[in-house]
Order: sequence, then C-alpha cells, then structure tokens
Amino acid sequence: MRRALLLAGLSLLARALVAQTLEPAGIVSVVSTRVRSQDPRGFGRLQLAVSYVEGKVDSAGVGGPGHDLVEGSVLLGAQALPWLTLAVGPHARSYTLTSGTQRWVFWELRARAAGAFIGSAARGYVELWRALSADVNVPESFDHAQGGEAGMIIRFARAPLQARVAYRMDHTVLRGALGGTRLETVDGLVVGFGLDWH
Amino acid sequence: MRGLVAWVALLLGGAVGARPAVAQGASGTFAQGIRAYQNLEFGRAAATLRRDLARLSAAGAPAADRVQGLVYLGAADLFRGRRDSAVAVFKRLVQLDPRFLPDRLVFPPEVTTVFDSVRALTKTVAIVVSPDTQVAPGADNFGAWVVASSFQTVEVTLRYEDGAPFRSLYAGPIGDSLRVQWDGLDAAGQLPPVGRVLLRVASRAPTGEISTILQLPLDLRIVRPDTLDWPAPPPQSAFLPERAGGRSAVRALLGSVLVSGAVLAIPSVVGGSGGPSGSRVAVAGTVGIAGMVGYLLHRPGRPLQANIRANQVLRGAWQQRVANATAENARRRGDVRLAVHAGPATVIQARAP
Repeated sequence: MRRALLLAGLSLLARALVAQTLEPAGIVSVVSTRVRSQDPRGFGRLQLAVSYVEGKVDSAGVGGPGHDLVEGSVLLGAQALPWLTLAVGPHARSYTLTSGTQRWVFWELRARAAGAFIGSAARGYVELWRALSADVNVPESFDHAQGGEAGMIIRFARAPLQARVAYRMDHTVLRGALGGTRLETVDGLVVGFGLDWH
Repeated sequence: MRGLVAWVALLLGGAVGARPAVAQGASGTFAQGIRAYQNLEFGRAAATLRRDLARLSAAGAPAADRVQGLVYLGAADLFRGRRDSAVAVFKRLVQLDPRFLPDRLVFPPEVTTVFDSVRALTKTVAIVVSPDTQVAPGADNFGAWVVASSFQTVEVTLRYEDGAPFRSLYAGPIGDSLRVQWDGLDAAGQLPPVGRVLLRVASRAPTGEISTILQLPLDLRIVRPDTLDWPAPPPQSAFLPERAGGRSAVRALLGSVLVSGAVLAIPSVVGGSGGPSGSRVAVAGTVGIAGMVGYLLHRPGRPLQANIRANQVLRGAWQQRVANATAENARRRGDVRLAVHAGPATVIQARAP
C-alpha cells in the first residue's frame, strides 16, 4: 500500500476570469504562505484523499490587506483501472471578497488519469470533476460547476520526496433570479513538495 | 622300540590333547582318518586320509582345508615306517602353507622333528595380498607380504603374462616374511600398458638353483574419474538490454505533449474562459521541458549502465563456474587410480627333493 503525505508550501494564483453579472472580473491571488495537507490512504483499490488549503487572496487591482481563503476536500476513490481513479466526496471553499464571505460546498465526482512518461521519475496526470450538488451562500441559485487539473509529479530517486506542478481551473455557473447568469472561474498554479514513501 | 615310542607319544598326546584337538583335532572331513590315527591304526588312517585329501584336491578345496589331513597323514606314514612318504607329505604341506607348524601338544617330537627338518629344506614361500586394492600410481604403493617357509633367497618380480620382466621388486634373502611394494608404474615411470601382470616369487635353493616359483596374477584397471560438464552459458533471455531502445524516449515526448495539451485544453474542457494565463503556459512549458529532458535522458542507443553491470555480474558468475569446472576437471584428470585385483596363486615349478 502506498502511503503518501503531501505537506508543503503551495502557491495558488487564482482569478475570476469572467463574471457576467459581476463586472469586471476580479483577479485574486494568494500570496501569503499557505499550508495544504493531503493524505491519500490506499485501502487496496480504495483511496482516501484529504486536502486542506488555507491562505489569503488579494483582489486584482485592489489594494489593501488580503482576504482569508480556506479550502478543503475529503474524497473517497476507487481505482477502476491501473491508470484511472474515480472519487467522490465533499469539497468546501470559503473566501472573503469585498462583497462578503462566500462559502461553497460541492459534492463532486472526480476522474483522474495518471501514468508515468519519463521512466518512473515523472508521472503526468489529468483530473476532471463535476459537482453533483452544491450549497453556496450567494443570492443566485447554483446551476452547475466543474473543473479540472493537469500537471506532473516528479519523484526523486534517492530521497522519499516528490514535487508537483500543475494547473487547475474551477468553473461555476450561477443563475440569477431575473434570468441572468453569473460565471465564476478560478484557476491556479499548483506547486507542491512532499514526502512520498512506499 | 619304535612302536613303544609311538604308544607313549600317543598317550601323552591324549592326556593333554583336549585343547589341541580343537586346533588340529578331528574335524568333519578327516574325522575318520584322525580317529584311526588315534587308535594307532596307522595303515587305515593313511588310507582314509589319502582318500579324503584326494577328494578335497579334486574339489579344489583351499590349502587351509587340507593341511590338517596332511599333517596326520605324514605322522601316520612316519609311524608306519615310511619316512620317505612322510617327508613327501610334509613337503607338500609346507608348500601349501609355509607358515604351518604342527601342534607340539598333539604330535610327538619324532613327528615335529621330521617336519621341522623338511620345512628347513623346503624353500618355498606364500604370498599374502588383499584381493582388491586401489592405489594412486606414483603416490601410493601396492603391497604384498611374502612369507617364507625357511631362510632362503628370493627374487620378487612383476612380469608380463608372457614371462617378460616388467618390474623388479626385490632380490635377496628372506628369513620369516618380507613386504614388497609396487608404486603402480612400469620401469619407465608410466602407467602399466597392460591389463594383467604376474607377481612372481622365485625361491632359490642353497645351491643357487630355483627351487620353487610362485606367481600370482594381478589384474590391473586404470580408474579415471568422470570429468564435469562445462556449465551452460546463461540463456540470451537472461541478459538485459545494454542499450536503451527508442520506446522510453518516444514515451517521454508523447507523454509531455499529452500532459501539456491537457493543461492548455482545460479551460475549453471545463467551460471556462480560455483567455491568456501565464500560469497555464508556465505549467505546459514546464511539462514540455521535462519531456525533452526525459527524451535526452532516455535517448535511443544510450548505454544502460545498470543493465551493463547486471550482465557483467551474470557473465562473471558463469565464467567463475567455468573456471571452477576447469580446475576440478584438471584435478580429476590427475587423480588416476590403479585398481589391482589379485587372483589365486599358483606354483609353476616345484622341484622334487
């Protein structure tokens, strides 16, 4: 059973790219130190992944102190194929903007494909998810949400260390009471270092 | 007077002869003749003993089975007044067993004196040797005991079957016994070229003439140990490729292209805006660079040092096994043994006294 613990500094640059009802789009970036904890535990073909991110976000073009960001997920997965893992679980996110604190809770279904492409040192992966249901404290009603992440994980041969670099994007569609639609997109660069031993 | 001596001798022998009766007393074969001898019926005893001895000789019985009958026959002939016949019987007895001595508690001094004089005049020997022996030629020795009936001069030689000399082992006097040794080689120091030689002991009378020749056939067999087969070389399938193929390099390139493409395609897949994003381009570029580095690291034809070392270990182990087998075979080739089987001894010349 492979046990991996990813405990490292994480840089996450995020911005709302397009918001049709919230013009203009605010660009936020997390610049302070954040800690993310991920503890995937394999139970045979089952996996449990726990992640936690805490930090600050800054709105682009707006000065002043940053706003708190807290994000976490608990996903229970199963390895359908040697290179494909399916997972389901809650994903919660809370961050504060000038308009107030937004709290999101998604129940997600994730599919993750991974495989080594440079010997056994580097593994590439692509992960897509879609929200099965959501609970969000904004005036608009939730329509749908989905996202994805792609990148690579490099393992060091002589040390139980691994590094990860990836790009992620979450896209949420909210529908207003008057029929309008607000799109909220958050993308980010994921850089992580962690311990990895078998 | 001679009859009186015989009576006294027999009485003395009977009084103290309980124990000797076990050694040289009546046995099953000669019981009737010995009983007649003890009853002083020497004529009947001689006739009975001669009959039994003739039957044993015809049956090829060993000498040890005949000596008891011969000593009683000699004594009976002596008491019958046939000294010449007794001497002939005793001489025959000495030739059969040069070490034989009559029990002096059973036979009177008149008998033992005659026997001793015959034994002193009869120049013969016996050869005592193990039936089967193995020696390392040049290192070990094949040994045989030559037992003499009396002091004499002997010549101990090994000869070919046609009588030609093969090796001379000893020439000189012998008192009681002599151990002769042969190193298993011929006169040139080589292995015997024949499968049989004769161990011949020629006894010389005091006059210098050969009185008796005793010879023993020795069957020779050179025993060479089997050599080991050479270890088979490792099968080709056991060796790892020592040069990298193109598969890993192509996989690195294709994998990086796929992952980079996935990074760039995420916005369109998830439905978000595909606007310019420095982070997205940075990740795709990083993956692309990693793919190129992987291609260079796994370029086709690159020596695979780990596999080369593993193959060297495999070849080295096989070469070591070959060297061990070669050394063992060399040792076995040098470990030649000579198996010697001794046949029955025969007297090929015996001169009458």
